[in-house]
Amino acid sequence: MRYFDRLHPISAFCYFLMMLLVAMLTMHPVIVTVCYLSSVTFLGMLIGGRKLLSSLAYSVPLVLMLAVTNPMFVHRGETILFFLNDNPVTREAIVYGVFASMMLMSVFYLCRCYSEIMTADKFIYLFGRAIPKLSLVLSMILAFLPKMKRKFREIDEAQRALGIYATESYVDRIRSRMRVLSILLTNSFETSVETADSMRARGYGLRGRTSYAIYRFTPSDAMYLLFTLAAGGALFALILSGGADFSYYPALTPLTWSPRDAALTLLLVTLAGSSVFMEVKETVLWHYLRSGI
Amino acid sequence: MTENKKKIIKIITILCVLFILIPFVIWFGVKIFEDRKYNLVSVIIAALSCVPFFVRFERGKSGAREMVVISVMTAFSVLGRLVFAPIPGFKPVTAMTVISGIALGGEAGFIVGGMSALVSNIFFGQGPWTPFQMFVWGLLGFLSGVVFRKTCRPNRLVLSLFGVLGGVLYSLLMDIWTTLSFDGTFLLSRYLANVAASLPFMAVYAVSNVIFLLLLARPFLEKLGRIKTKYGIFRTEDSEN
Repeated sequence: MRYFDRLHPISAFCYFLMMLLVAMLTMHPVIVTVCYLSSVTFLGMLIGGRKLLSSLAYSVPLVLMLAVTNPMFVHRGETILFFLNDNPVTREAIVYGVFASMMLMSVFYLCRCYSEIMTADKFIYLFGRAIPKLSLVLSMILAFLPKMKRKFREIDEAQRALGIYATESYVDRIRSRMRVLSILLTNSFETSVETADSMRARGYGLRGRTSYAIYRFTPSDAMYLLFTLAAGGALFALILSGGADFSYYPALTPLTWSPRDAALTLLLVTLAGSSVFMEVKETVLWHYLRSGI
Repeated sequence: MTENKKKIIKIITILCVLFILIPFVIWFGVKIFEDRKYNLVSVIIAALSCVPFFVRFERGKSGAREMVVISVMTAFSVLGRLVFAPIPGFKPVTAMTVISGIALGGEAGFIVGGMSALVSNIFFGQGPWTPFQMFVWGLLGFLSGVVFRKTCRPNRLVLSLFGVLGGVLYSLLMDIWTTLSFDGTFLLSRYLANVAASLPFMAVYAVSNVIFLLLLARPFLEKLGRIKTKYGIFRTEDSEN
């Protein structure tokens, strides 16, 4: 059981919102590194080590590639390492490339964690009131997809049995797929309009209708929500007041360790690490309780 | 008279977002982030650009039947993207969006395009690029509704031209995001390099758009026309356009 699965959608959403904003707001190397490491670890906790490794096998070379190619576009920076085609390759440009791609990857991994946790039903639960029509459209699309997939296979098999897939040629295969799609469309329209009529008959869109939700807002959800809001708010205040200013060009800003930097790092580590901490705690507790049985 | 009033209100909402909210975000970006955080600002602007269309849909009169037809078209374009996923860049989303725009009007076209991006990215990966894709596809749907209004049988040549332009526009706009996401600022040299690197994709987009449009437009428009007549839906949209 994952902690974030049990967490109330609003608390989980708030965590992701805060983390995404922090990750995109600043390029400070310490912040970027903390965000990157925490998001990768969090994803590892969510999807397991093996899946994470296969994802890293793709993303780490990408980071390195972007770091290497950045000096080809940017020739700013005062520490020239060597010349490539008469263009200076600077240390600053390489360092910038590393951290820019790390920031990109941490946003990417945060989004993967987000879609792992914030499934469509949670999203609809959160925003169903504010955008009723769009969230209904969203949930209908998501319901249609598996239905259509099943129907697609049925039609496809029927067409195959009729011998429509005559040759192996590219054009023929595309055309036969189009044919199946066309049949599927007619079928979907007819059945879906029936769905709409049945919705109308049951009073869709009338005032005073309620809906069932499985989520309960517990004190621990409230605690976590308050924690993310407080830590996130303090972080934004520090970042916007210039606490995370860092320039790569023309020279790298030396990293200092003033009280403000320490507070910023500590806050970020607590906020970013809270998800990993909660997941670890949950896993340990789970194993402990199971061993007691 | 009332129709004119409605149009005026619609235009005012769009103008409000275009000329008040978006400049405010840009001003905020310049002032607070010292003109550095183009990536974050651009994501917010892309999301804001979708707002007028979505608000209009929420406030509009479209009932359950209209919503269901929009959902089917969107589910279809998502399904198409999944089916053709093995061939990179070769996807029917633009074509489906354009067809929806032609048959159901610009507003529904925008919803189909935007929702296709949102839902298909559940399978292909959500990210900061999602608002961009939503807006670009939505815009293509809206434009097709504007360009092809009052024609249920659009000229094949014009349709192909629209497909090519749609592919080019999609590629160029998405490259803006690729550029912004890396530097936080807009480097023209990197943008041009990105455009050059994605030229093959641009070609595949354009070609696939034309293929899908030419193959799908006739049968899909026929089917949608039949559904529209049979169930009496998207009538107001027609008379308004």
